[in-house]
Amino acid sequence: MEVTFVIIDDNKEIEEHPLLFTLEDKFKNVKFYSNPQEGLDYIKNNLEINLIVLLDIEFSKDDNMDGHDLLREIHNSSTLIPVILWSGINQTNEEFSDFINNRAFGFLSKDCSLEEAMQIVDKAYNNLKNSLDNIIEDWIISNESDKDKPIYFTSSGESYTLNEILKEIRLQTPIGKEFSSKLNSLTIDLLLRKKENL
Amino acid sequence: MSLKKENSIKFNFDVSAYRLIGRELITDRITALFELVKNAYDANAENVIVEFIDINPLTPNSKIIIKDDGIGMQFSDIKNKWMVIGTSSKRRERLSPAPHKRKVAGKKGIGRFAVDKLGDKLVLRTQKKNSAELLCLETDWSYYSKLEDSQLKLNFEDEKPFFTDVENKYWYDKGDKEVQGTTLEISQVNEIWTENDINRAFKELSKLVPPNPSKTNAYPFNITIKSPYKDFNNVKVKTQLIDFATKKVELTFDKKEGVQEILQYKKGSLNKIKVPERPCGFLKLTLYYFDQAAKSKYKKYFNSDIDGIKIYRDGIITTPFAEYVADQNKQKDILGIDKRRWSGFFDRFGTRDLLGYVEITDENNPQIIESTNRQGFVDNEAWEELRKFIIEQIVQLESYFKNVKKVERENTKSSLGVANQDLKTLKKEIASVKKEASPKVQAKLRSIEANLGKIQGSVTKSIKDYSKLEKESKQQENLFMSLVSLQTYAAMFSHMTKHTLGHILTGAEYFYNNYPNPNLEDRFISISKSIYKEMLKLRKGVDFMLKYAKSDTELEEINLKELIVNLFDNIYVDRLNEEGIKTIVEIKDNLILNYNRKAIEDIFDNLISNSIKALKNNNEKIIKCSSLTSSDKVTILFSDNGIGIKEKDKHRIFDIFYTDTAEEGGAGMGLYMVKTRVEAMQGNIEVIENEFRPTGATFKITLPFKK
Repeated sequence: MEVTFVIIDDNKEIEEHPLLFTLEDKFKNVKFYSNPQEGLDYIKNNLEINLIVLLDIEFSKDDNMDGHDLLREIHNSSTLIPVILWSGINQTNEEFSDFINNRAFGFLSKDCSLEEAMQIVDKAYNNLKNSLDNIIEDWIISNESDKDKPIYFTSSGESYTLNEILKEIRLQTPIGKEFSSKLNSLTIDLLLRKKENL
Repeated sequence: MSLKKENSIKFNFDVSAYRLIGRELITDRITALFELVKNAYDANAENVIVEFIDINPLTPNSKIIIKDDGIGMQFSDIKNKWMVIGTSSKRRERLSPAPHKRKVAGKKGIGRFAVDKLGDKLVLRTQKKNSAELLCLETDWSYYSKLEDSQLKLNFEDEKPFFTDVENKYWYDKGDKEVQGTTLEISQVNEIWTENDINRAFKELSKLVPPNPSKTNAYPFNITIKSPYKDFNNVKVKTQLIDFATKKVELTFDKKEGVQEILQYKKGSLNKIKVPERPCGFLKLTLYYFDQAAKSKYKKYFNSDIDGIKIYRDGIITTPFAEYVADQNKQKDILGIDKRRWSGFFDRFGTRDLLGYVEITDENNPQIIESTNRQGFVDNEAWEELRKFIIEQIVQLESYFKNVKKVERENTKSSLGVANQDLKTLKKEIASVKKEASPKVQAKLRSIEANLGKIQGSVTKSIKDYSKLEKESKQQENLFMSLVSLQTYAAMFSHMTKHTLGHILTGAEYFYNNYPNPNLEDRFISISKSIYKEMLKLRKGVDFMLKYAKSDTELEEINLKELIVNLFDNIYVDRLNEEGIKTIVEIKDNLILNYNRKAIEDIFDNLISNSIKALKNNNEKIIKCSSLTSSDKVTILFSDNGIGIKEKDKHRIFDIFYTDTAEEGGAGMGLYMVKTRVEAMQGNIEVIENEFRPTGATFKITLPFKK
């Protein structure tokens, strides 16, 4: 699975941080933004690809957003993106409000080691990999011909192909959300009625 | 006009909804009572009687009756307002009808559900003036509860009745034409009301309107409580008049002139000054401060603690303050008075020292909005500014009382000195009388002289002890000050260390994991460079920390020019170059001050870092330090051409903890430190007309030469 890491931190020196090098070595695509607005714009314009975000919390006073605002914004655009907070400030204070309110994926302290950091990063990666949209994508890659088959019909009569549904899920549109939840119900139903063997 | 009927569907409430908006939103029965009395206020009532019948123990006859003489309701009001959830009429009509024209307190249209908190059954009787009919309506909340319970057992959604399907019985009785008003008779009372509960209700209801007679005089609002208890048999709820306060301050505004009064402490006196309107809008503030003695008097008399500052809008309390809290210590400090750092130290006041009333209005403060959960205000700029405003006034009051204490100390000292002088004179006079006196009187005088000597001895000792004590407390205060600044520094230092260590640690780890690898050569170079840079940063921080640890009291001869040039050319050289700041030093080569080096360095350290911040957005950046000497003092001017200090901030920039960025911690100490250091040298610092017009700031420091 291809994934792009987006790191947003107002400290330019972070661009040369060994963690970023490590991510680049392992996952290839790493984008660094010292301007929070630019970082946010990139995320919003690339919702159809797999993103993992590392986000600083304290930004300089000149920026009109801080990490909390960004986290909220990202969460509002898509709930599928794992956002890992990466901060030097007191961890416990941060964890509570943001983990609960905006569902940060994890918390990394600025003084943690690469090994500790990569544990959370790998967890986020696996989480993405096992998500519905990525499973559909894997399906499309291995079964190219299914791509344009219509698989979902709404009550208003519109139909969606597998590929279109993938996009709707990633963009977190009402159709995408509706499909995900219905698909889950269907799966459970099938399992209960023993119509399908896994 | 008939429209073609299309298929449509309406919202419906599940019967459990009444719980959410009554029982569960209005959390406490005292609050419920409060809500119902507020409804009476909105209906122009001048008298409300809250009567408790058979409420301890509970019997089938237990009742709570709330009777008002307000404008009453007719059938259309009942149908279109009382029975409609979230009625908008009070939002539309923000004034109650003439002649009272009260600003209505309710807005959400849920107050009537408060009844459910008090008892299961309600009979409402209401009458308009000149109507011979008394309209009665019965609501049985227990029926709703039963429905709710039975719904849980129903399997078919379609068979469930909704909230809106329940029938409430109404009828007409004969009424008296002269009478108007609404009576709520609540029976099947839920809980016992003890004397203590009634007392709580009494106290809460007394907070409904501010103790400011101007608002209430024209159309009084009287609440009477009747209950089986002796002390609350038939008692009028009175606003607790504030007595015993050590100091009362009233601030107001003049809308025509566009000015708001605020407090300013200056040279021993507390004054009201006029400033332009603040972003929170015009407001009135009445503030009472209680010292220890006043506090205990208050407590003894009213049997309750001093409970901080409350906000009233248009003459009635705002919801966050209307929620009843049983334990005063658990009351929420939504103004953040106790949350200020070091509250309780350094002569700072807390909510237990202050009582106050902030009076805002819909018209002047439209942006201050009570949040729907009733627990606070909507977090916006206006609210933030209102909080700041209140804290600022408290800070000025604190400075004033700090000085009062100081003056008292000095008075004690000087009266001791006077006593000593009087004793000397007395002794002289006795000596002169003694020569001419008879032997018997001489003997008596000798014993008086001896006693006087003893008294003189103890007065002298007192004076000595007093000076010693004063010195000790000054030392203690200095220690506190350095602890405070050390704490601020420590927070900054550990933050920096965390970043730096993280960078170094992961750099080393990266090497360890990947070296050697010819493909990563560039990275190894950049990592080793950054490790080196981060180490330097760490060393600088440690050096500064060490400087703090050094003794702080030694005096030495200091060449001011050398000291400032050293700061500019060595210590701050990187920062200044980075920011492109030009420095000018115009100080005589031979100007020597005899003082503690650290203190003077602190002063200029703080001034320089302030200037750097102020210059951030300038193109051409200048910091200038010049001096002027006269026979008895030296005047130092420290200037930059940065953004300058706003007129409205000039009077408060030296206040401790005054900062625009309190949330980020740390700030708010710098200029206060400068000021205390300068004052410790018997000097003075002020902001004057800036040298680099049009923008910039100039500080003028005057230091006396020691004799």
